[in-house]
Amino acid sequence: MMSQRRGIHVDQSELLCTKGCGFYGNNAWQGLCSKCWREENQKEKQKQIQDDWALAERLQKEEEEAYANRHQKSQAPTNATPFSKFEERKSKEKSSKVNTVTKFFIPSSKTPQKKDAASLDSQSSPSPSSSVSRHSSVDSDQATKEFIDFLRPLKSGREIFKQCRAFTESMVYKRDMGADELSECVQDFYQNLSDRLHTQFKGSSDHVESIMDEVEKYMMTRLYKEVFCPESTDDEKKDLATQKRIRALHWVTIEMLCVPVDEEIPEVSDSVVKAITDVIEMDSKRVPKDKLSCITRCSKHIFNAIKVSKKEAASADDFLPTLIYIVLKANPPRLQSNIQYITRYCNPSRLMTGEDGYYFTNLCCAVAFIEKLDAQSLNLSTEEFDLYMSGQASPHWPPATGASSISPSSTTLSQVHKRLDLLTGLGQRQERVMEKARQLENDLIDWTDEVEQKVQSVLESFSPESQTPAAATATVGETTSAASSAIDSDNVENELLPPPLQPQVFAG
Amino acid sequence: MAAGGAGSNKTYSFKVVLLGEGCVGKTSLVLRYCENKFNDKHITTLQASFLTKKLNIAGKRVNLAIWDTAGQERFHALGPIYYRDSNGAVLVYDITDEDSFQKVKNWVKELRKMLGNEICLCIVGNKIDLDKDRHVSVDEAERYAESVGAKHYHTSAKLNKGIEELFLDLCKRMMENAQADERLKGNGSSQSASSWRGVQIVDDDPQATPAGGCCSSG
Repeated sequence: MMSQRRGIHVDQSELLCTKGCGFYGNNAWQGLCSKCWREENQKEKQKQIQDDWALAERLQKEEEEAYANRHQKSQAPTNATPFSKFEERKSKEKSSKVNTVTKFFIPSSKTPQKKDAASLDSQSSPSPSSSVSRHSSVDSDQATKEFIDFLRPLKSGREIFKQCRAFTESMVYKRDMGADELSECVQDFYQNLSDRLHTQFKGSSDHVESIMDEVEKYMMTRLYKEVFCPESTDDEKKDLATQKRIRALHWVTIEMLCVPVDEEIPEVSDSVVKAITDVIEMDSKRVPKDKLSCITRCSKHIFNAIKVSKKEAASADDFLPTLIYIVLKANPPRLQSNIQYITRYCNPSRLMTGEDGYYFTNLCCAVAFIEKLDAQSLNLSTEEFDLYMSGQASPHWPPATGASSISPSSTTLSQVHKRLDLLTGLGQRQERVMEKARQLENDLIDWTDEVEQKVQSVLESFSPESQTPAAATATVGETTSAASSAIDSDNVENELLPPPLQPQVFAG
Repeated sequence: MAAGGAGSNKTYSFKVVLLGEGCVGKTSLVLRYCENKFNDKHITTLQASFLTKKLNIAGKRVNLAIWDTAGQERFHALGPIYYRDSNGAVLVYDITDEDSFQKVKNWVKELRKMLGNEICLCIVGNKIDLDKDRHVSVDEAERYAESVGAKHYHTSAKLNKGIEELFLDLCKRMMENAQADERLKGNGSSQSASSWRGVQIVDDDPQATPAGGCCSSG
């Protein structure tokens, strides 16, 4: 009792503010009093803000550098020595740099010396609200930084960045536009930019592609929250409908879809699991291109599963059913939203001709198939299909009437059955072992008893001899022979025992 | 889709879909073309559903992307998703199987209805190594192909017959189409930036967008 009371006793000094100002502190404020806590907290917040500003400043500087680089070229395109003016340009830049930080957050009203009409227009647009700065989160900053790094070695990097940024910021005003119009805007922007890059780089389409990838990455990372599953569309409703639909189709088996995959092979089931993981992972990515690579990875795992099962290269006839099966198993989150987002905002050339585009198309097909799926497409009768859909029957446990018919039971179920059988067999064997063990134990007990008895009887029979070693030989001989015969009669079954000791007659 | 483009050293990218019933040999055909292998255990590709081939025709570079489609009847309704924005379609039937030829006819009807004459069609009678079991007459097939403005080819993936010719001819025709498109674009000067969406767009007025036009609307 005493010790307990001592445990909760708090010294007066512990209640005071840890700063020693004399007021009482509070645990919620890290032991500080309200006054000291406010001061402390203010300091931390200030530090955070300063850090943020430092980052912003750094990014802005980099941007300026890129600009200087670019600007020089555009100013003197005929000049053979672009680097000669570099330093001069830079110093000029510094002097003209006013209020760089605010400029980073708010698209400056300061007109750049650049003669590009498009960016000029958007730059001089009315100053936006602080909402622009609000969604420049850590991710976006990272994306901006990477984008600037990527563009730095390009001679038109500055211009590209300016345009992308201006366009991205202009999207904020278009929030009340429909999703289709927004996507139209973005696609027009992609198209214009890539056309211009094509003329600039004279047919080096690989190069243009890589720039476009970065442009997409930068823009979509920043716009993701605005344009993914927007409220103006019924994407969310569709997501829920698809999710419900897939859940209702949980009973669809490999056999019904004619999927050429044998999940009993460990490598195959491994690939299936990986494919499922990949298609689920798609939702966590922001950039359309990253989402597409998730689908591509998923497809590659499917191909591997098919190849291991069938021992030949997978054709579309094998691939699509397997993909449908994977989608049914995975039930990927926000599937429709993701598909819509990719269709609306992905770089069109990737979606139309590339390998990624092919797999994406197949995913769209799989979703379309699942939506329209009916009895016929699973080779079932309408009654069966309705029974399964309503949950009144399951292909794994056919209704009583269909007991004789060979129902297509799933492989997992048959595996479970097999393992159950195995377990029962093991149980039986275990019992048998236990029985034998008990018998052995009994035998052992019997044996020890027997041995004890024998030893006892032997001891008894020998005791008179030991006690009277010098008895009359004749009588001893008689009694021992009688005793030995008695012992022998006890041991009839055991012939291995050494012959009993014969009394020796000492004459003399 | 923007397959064309300015500049003489432009690389053409074409999308070709393979359509046809299951088991007519679509996959064998494309594997023979891209890998020159038939029923081979040493096929290096993991899959035979999406294959690419680089060609050089008359000094022009061509990237061919061949999209295989699932041939089972139950997936027939998904066709439009596959063949939208295609430049060409290869419609394969099995010469020993009358049904598969009927399927090709259905596909042709559908393609012409959905995509009009923009798409180059090739009708291909596969498995001519099994000529003794032929059930589709050469005459009928060729007459039909001509009537719908398609080229007809006889191939054998097993014997590697007719496949190179088929794809080469298809490429040439697609290039002609693309060049005609370019000329049209050049005359009209209005660049339909919305063409990326293919069949999804019903009727969008392709307004002449000046460079960076969408940025100015901010």
